[in-house]
Amino acid sequence: MASIARSALLRQAASVPKLPAATHAIARSSALRQSIANTVRASAFHTTSRRNLLPPLPQHVDGTVNDAAPIPETSPAHGSYHWTFDRLVSAGLVPLTLAPFAAGSLNPTMDAVLCGLILIHSHTGFQNIIIDYLPTRRVPRTRKAVMWGLNVATVIVGLALYEFETTDVGVTEAIKRVWTA
Amino acid sequence: MAALRSSSAARLFGSAASRPAFRLAVAAPVRGFAQLADAAQESQTASGDQKARIKTFQVYRWNPDTPTEKPTMQSYSLDLNKTGPMVLDALIRIKNELDPTLTFRRSCREGICGSCAMNINGTNTLACLCRIPTEVNAEMKIYPLPHTYVVKDLVPDLTQFYKQYKSIKPYLQRDTPSPDGKEYRQSKADRRKLDGLYECILCACCSTSCPSYWWNSEEYLGPAMLLQSYRWLADSRDERTAERKDALNNSMSLYRCHTILNCTRTCPKGLNPGLAIAQIKKEMAF
Amino acid sequence: MRLSGLQKEVVGLYRQCLRECRKKPFATRPHFQEFARHEFDKNVKIDRRDFAAIEFFLRKGRRQLDMYASPGVKDIN
Repeated sequence: MASIARSALLRQAASVPKLPAATHAIARSSALRQSIANTVRASAFHTTSRRNLLPPLPQHVDGTVNDAAPIPETSPAHGSYHWTFDRLVSAGLVPLTLAPFAAGSLNPTMDAVLCGLILIHSHTGFQNIIIDYLPTRRVPRTRKAVMWGLNVATVIVGLALYEFETTDVGVTEAIKRVWTA
Repeated sequence: MAALRSSSAARLFGSAASRPAFRLAVAAPVRGFAQLADAAQESQTASGDQKARIKTFQVYRWNPDTPTEKPTMQSYSLDLNKTGPMVLDALIRIKNELDPTLTFRRSCREGICGSCAMNINGTNTLACLCRIPTEVNAEMKIYPLPHTYVVKDLVPDLTQFYKQYKSIKPYLQRDTPSPDGKEYRQSKADRRKLDGLYECILCACCSTSCPSYWWNSEEYLGPAMLLQSYRWLADSRDERTAERKDALNNSMSLYRCHTILNCTRTCPKGLNPGLAIAQIKKEMAF
Repeated sequence: MRLSGLQKEVVGLYRQCLRECRKKPFATRPHFQEFARHEFDKNVKIDRRDFAAIEFFLRKGRRQLDMYASPGVKDIN
């Protein structure tokens, strides 16, 4: 029953942009319309990949189908310790952020600890972003450069915060002033 | 046959006023020939007492025989009255009756094999467990699993997924024999720890919905593999827990999980890979 | 000329093909080399931005290489 809708015709309809016209007289108008719609959709698929910043490389599969994927070396410093440290810093930031609100005090030591933790927190956070989006196997040199750039930025921000804390009013006081300004 | 078809078409157009859905289908500009043909076929066999409910399915097509052609969406329309309730029924019907070139994996049609995982209306799910929504106005969009290499139409290449499964050693590892020489027994409480883990059918819905896995599928294991890892970590009979943890203890394998929880949201079996990953992280902390 | 990642993979595959040719018997070696060259020439016209097609041919090429590299294959026409 569905013989008039057989696949040969559909294939033709799909490939009309290349061919001059569909051969089947009845099929022509609808097939053409569909083909136009199809090309529009096809271009919609591909507009994003045209100007990609980093177009995805084909997934690289090491070894044959029957080999297991390679297991990376154990390195707790990049794994569990890193993660635990991350969480501890994040958890520690909560009371430190709330403390000035509750106490209203501007203890310089507390201020310094808060600054230090925020610095470490953002450093590890940026590290995570870099590890996610600049994989070593894909862009090894860029990865290294950006990692060093992050280290330099962290040091500069750390020095700036030190200067701000020692010679100026300190972060908490500054925020307070901006808030009430 | 042709006469039958034309008469049925006349009947169809005559009664079009009582079928708003079908009228819409004819009027819409983006229509394939297949639909009209199927609509005529529907009306021929549809008895007067039951209105044809024509639903359109947009299916991702890409043929490796013509690799330079871009992937396209092809639309098919079916009468829901004569199609089974699930999306897989509709796909099988399309393949049988409309277009035998449509390619997809399917096996058990009851959600136990995980073959028919695909992206339906933007959600990764099993076609055999996904009901076709009854409102006929909305089109259904069916894509292969996202960010996978597509072998053909709806068939993704899961080689890396299975290689990773092999790499986590998904089998019981023991050095000591059981005390009485019989099977390794465990308490009911220990067995209960495996509930919600052993049901995973490795359909790859969760892994392919995970943005972290999209970017780093070569090194990050993905939610499905981590759920399986935890299934063996939580097993009281397994004696290589430390080794299994060491294999995960690096920056890529486990810790690329950022608790996005797309995996838990999409799992067609209702499991919680996000929770399993959190448990692994918790056990490995310090 | 700087090659993109995908172009490097294509060149790498071609070099691998030629290396595998050297493991074949001396008499039939030119056949293998010609075959490899022909396989690449067939698709030389593909747009270099057509990543999907290039990836497909890369995968196909790797599979073909696996097959023809097996020591049982002595000659090719």
